Amino acid sequence: MLDRMEGKYDVVVVGGGPAGMGAALGARNSGAERILMLDREEEAGGILWQCIHSGFGLHYFREELTGPEYAQRFLEKVIDHDVDLATSSYVSGISVDSDGTKNVRVMNERQGLVTINTKAVVLSMGCRERTRGSIRIPGTRPSGILTAGLAQKLVNLKGYLPGRRVAILGSGDIGLIMARRLVLEGCEVVGVFEIMPYSNGLSRNVVQCLDDFGIPLHLSTTVAYIHGRDRVEKITVAPVDQDLKPVMSKARDIKCDTLLLSIGLIPENELSLSLGILMDVVTGGPRISSTLETSMPGVFASGNVLHVHDLVDFVTRESLLAGQFAGEWAQGVRRPDDNIRLLPGDNVRYCIPHTLSPEREHTIYMRCKEAMKPCRIRVGNLMEKKLRFVAPAEMIIFKIKPDLLDRFHDDSLRIDILPAKKGKRHGQS
Amino acid sequence: MVKAKEYTCIGCPIGCPLQLVHKGSKITEISGNECDRGAKYAKQEFTDPRRELSTTMEIVGARWRRLPVKVTGPVEKGRVLEAARRIHTVHVTAPVKIGQVLIKDFLGQKGIDVVACRTMEAIV
Repeated sequence: MLDRMEGKYDVVVVGGGPAGMGAALGARNSGAERILMLDREEEAGGILWQCIHSGFGLHYFREELTGPEYAQRFLEKVIDHDVDLATSSYVSGISVDSDGTKNVRVMNERQGLVTINTKAVVLSMGCRERTRGSIRIPGTRPSGILTAGLAQKLVNLKGYLPGRRVAILGSGDIGLIMARRLVLEGCEVVGVFEIMPYSNGLSRNVVQCLDDFGIPLHLSTTVAYIHGRDRVEKITVAPVDQDLKPVMSKARDIKCDTLLLSIGLIPENELSLSLGILMDVVTGGPRISSTLETSMPGVFASGNVLHVHDLVDFVTRESLLAGQFAGEWAQGVRRPDDNIRLLPGDNVRYCIPHTLSPEREHTIYMRCKEAMKPCRIRVGNLMEKKLRFVAPAEMIIFKIKPDLLDRFHDDSLRIDILPAKKGKRHGQS
Repeated sequence: MVKAKEYTCIGCPIGCPLQLVHKGSKITEISGNECDRGAKYAKQEFTDPRRELSTTMEIVGARWRRLPVKVTGPVEKGRVLEAARRIHTVHVTAPVKIGQVLIKDFLGQKGIDVVACRTMEAIV
């Protein structure tokens, strides 16, 4: 029910984006009775409303949808399933009583500051964009410097153009997609500048968003200085050396009035930190068990708050599961602790979850450090799986069956990504 | 004369580098694709390149000032900008329902419409 928040809950979901909506539905599927989803925006649905391009839902809905279509379909499901929903509601803190009850402090215009009691919590606050401060671009501080996602909100929801002549730093997918959006809306995009020697976005986005419109992509190049008193007037760009330091002797100035930053995302974990739960320094999110439970019993996490995903469909899948486990926890289901630690090995940046239990099938989400093709994933001495390619921008997903873990008696399992074995052709087992 | 064209497949995240060899308008060979979608894409790109298009339209009387819309069929690549400009000349008034047809037979193509990608209630 919309705008209802009263009494005690079984599961409270913090954040109403794709992760929160998935978790709320998952909790409902588990049989938990009273579920509340909180969102600080005027409407739940999260970032999907402003992602007007298509490419969402191929896995979950089996058709290609735009972001708003995905959001609306999902939100209608959540509301149909009798989840209480409070929007314009900000969670300022969570505390845990000695008996395990969680107290969620919520602020909104209608009820002021209230404390909601719940048995379980799902953290699904998502992530936010890195800003100029996180990479310390030298120069003045004029207006006209904004993150790609903020520009997306201004253009796609509010109907404002952020500027006329736009440069984009970083080639993440949001940056590439915004380059096309701004051209379609009548801006001139002078170029996309990427410090790495490769694009951070998908090659199909480079083709459809840049090449189609003749927008140049300058690799191994960064913005070395921002000029302008009140408004951005120009930027100095320079190629970088092997240590990614700008080579100022080869620098040049480019006239523009706007600089968009598409330089990465950070899981938004202030609430998690205030709860004192254990964090993973690599993902920037909580450490979690195979039931997506954090180190605080009864507090679960899913979606981009946990690790930044490539596709909303994966967020949905993970969150349905987190909601399911949170709902079961609220109904008193207690599982034995996981007894296998998962360790990232060669060319593995991180893997999620952090621990496994031999009793269930597990889906492992991981990222590599460097691109490799062809290659194989080795999971301890339990299994090997061949892959056509891995790249840092592509999440790797695979399953570990319980019968494999049944025969495993160690307490830690190491995952490596290794070059394919020589002499064996791709496709053979 | 035999000539070659190069494309990057947009069918999936792998992004295969494709090479298409042709003699005039006749395709003689497509290589570099790891699956059938790549061959299909290269052929389409050579004969009649098209792109999906979604953009926004002005909406009056709703919570937001822009309504997300999409064209229900692929638009000729060379007319994408024109298509977007055309959509931007139109405005609608709330309420609008998801899937509602806002421009029928867009750019003179029978059965291809511009539709709303979300519902927007009227706000008083």
